Amino acid sequence: MTRKDHPLLEVSELVTAYGKIEALKGVNLSVEQGSITCLLGPNGAGKTTLMMTTAGILKPRGGSIRFAGTEIAGRAPHAIVAQGVALVPENRLVFPAMTVIDNLQAGAYQRRDRVETGADLERMFARFPRLKERSAQLAGTLSGGEQQMLAVARALMSRPKLLLMDEPSLGLAPLVVEEIFRIIADLHMDGATIFLVEQNAHMALKVAQHFYLMEQGKVTFSGTPGAMAEDEVIRRAYLGSAKA
Amino acid sequence: MFFDLIQNTLDGLAMGSSYALLAVGFTLIFGVLRRVNLSYGPAIMFGGYCATWVHLNFQAGLLALAIITIAGAVLAGAYVERLCFAPHRQGSAIAAMVASFALWMQFEEAVTLVMPSHVYDFPAMYDGPPFEFGSLTLRMEALVMLACAVAISYGLHRVLSGSRFGLAVRAVIDSPVAAQLAGIDVPRVLLQVFLLASSIGGLAGYLIVSTHTQITPMLGMWSTLKGLLAMMIGGLGSLPGAVAGGLVLGVLEAHSQWFLGPQSRDLLAFLLLFGLLAVRPYGLWRASSAEAEA
Repeated sequence: MTRKDHPLLEVSELVTAYGKIEALKGVNLSVEQGSITCLLGPNGAGKTTLMMTTAGILKPRGGSIRFAGTEIAGRAPHAIVAQGVALVPENRLVFPAMTVIDNLQAGAYQRRDRVETGADLERMFARFPRLKERSAQLAGTLSGGEQQMLAVARALMSRPKLLLMDEPSLGLAPLVVEEIFRIIADLHMDGATIFLVEQNAHMALKVAQHFYLMEQGKVTFSGTPGAMAEDEVIRRAYLGSAKA
Repeated sequence: MFFDLIQNTLDGLAMGSSYALLAVGFTLIFGVLRRVNLSYGPAIMFGGYCATWVHLNFQAGLLALAIITIAGAVLAGAYVERLCFAPHRQGSAIAAMVASFALWMQFEEAVTLVMPSHVYDFPAMYDGPPFEFGSLTLRMEALVMLACAVAISYGLHRVLSGSRFGLAVRAVIDSPVAAQLAGIDVPRVLLQVFLLASSIGGLAGYLIVSTHTQITPMLGMWSTLKGLLAMMIGGLGSLPGAVAGGLVLGVLEAHSQWFLGPQSRDLLAFLLLFGLLAVRPYGLWRASSAEAEA
């Protein structure tokens, strides 16, 4: 579908504002088909705003987001899901009062192929055995790590061409974080394209092929892991540079 | 005395069935929008006046009148949703509520403009004598009300738990942002729920006016009030609670009317609501997650 010379996701000069305050001040970046691309940066840099704008929850004030050659900036969230983009949001946002299985069914809401959806459900249970054990449980009763897995599985149920993940390791115990990153690496092995926002720069740089550094609403550095000394990247990801 | 108690309870359950339907519609709207729609009752009243107008000007059967009442309520409901709630989806809850109050006034004015004598006769569902079971009697309307409440509650339960539309509704109730991320067209679901709720309200409205055999513009306020009361008794956002709340309210009113007379009926109901809210601010039956933010 995508031509080889075009990235799967191409964000250019994107501006998103809350009232008068611009959270994104002209962001440019791209995500190549089949890659794990990571977005690092300190709190308040605008990473979540970028994710929410790409998913259509926030409307941009200017600029463009091209996905697989189609302009999606400013379109309704459900239309963007229909294009093949799914976001695993910050703080997971599972449906707490719904069962695990209903959460997954909701993720497949736009799909009409019942048989294939059922098969995908089994695949999710094979990939996340703990979700299978808890399939009849309310999602709100799951642990943080289980909710994160549910949020990932729910997003995958729409069969996205691009998976956006916003801080999947947030608030999770170190062992669970490792499991989440193992899942990310697995998904990548299976051919998924992943655009990942992370505070945990150390873990993210291990799995990513490409990374961007975002500070104060702008991309200030882009490269491949190793292009900048890792400790410098991490320092700036957490603290920001003195002058953006 | 004993039979009076049973008879009052039966009458109360019948009237309570229509309150239950009103509360179910109210709860659906509150559940997905987290907004109080004051125009809920006036939209029903509008439907009732549409049917009354048709009744006065044409020969229309009972079924036709019921359908016109429901259709009018749905039409008015769509108007309310587009004007009050669609524009304020992300914005102020107060703005939406005040806007719904403004539309309430609009409906009352529109209705009295076209039909200025306020009180109109409405044909009864059934003219025959009530059914007798020993020393207990039950009117036809009461039976129909009970049957409708049971059928609608059961049907709604089936739709919500077992259909694609139901999944979307539950998702929107649970987390609107997550529902959008899952690919659900949330504005569309909100409109659909609004229309569904309005049609249930319209049915309740028809049952009520054909039981009272008359209609006044007060029906609007009356319906909003009874629906709101039953919803609060049952617990904000809980559908089984709304049904139970409606029945409790109906039985309570029937008994207080018997013991204290019709004037004290509403007074007691409101006193009880205040008492209940003081002790259990989230109603008798707690809803899943709705009350946390309410």
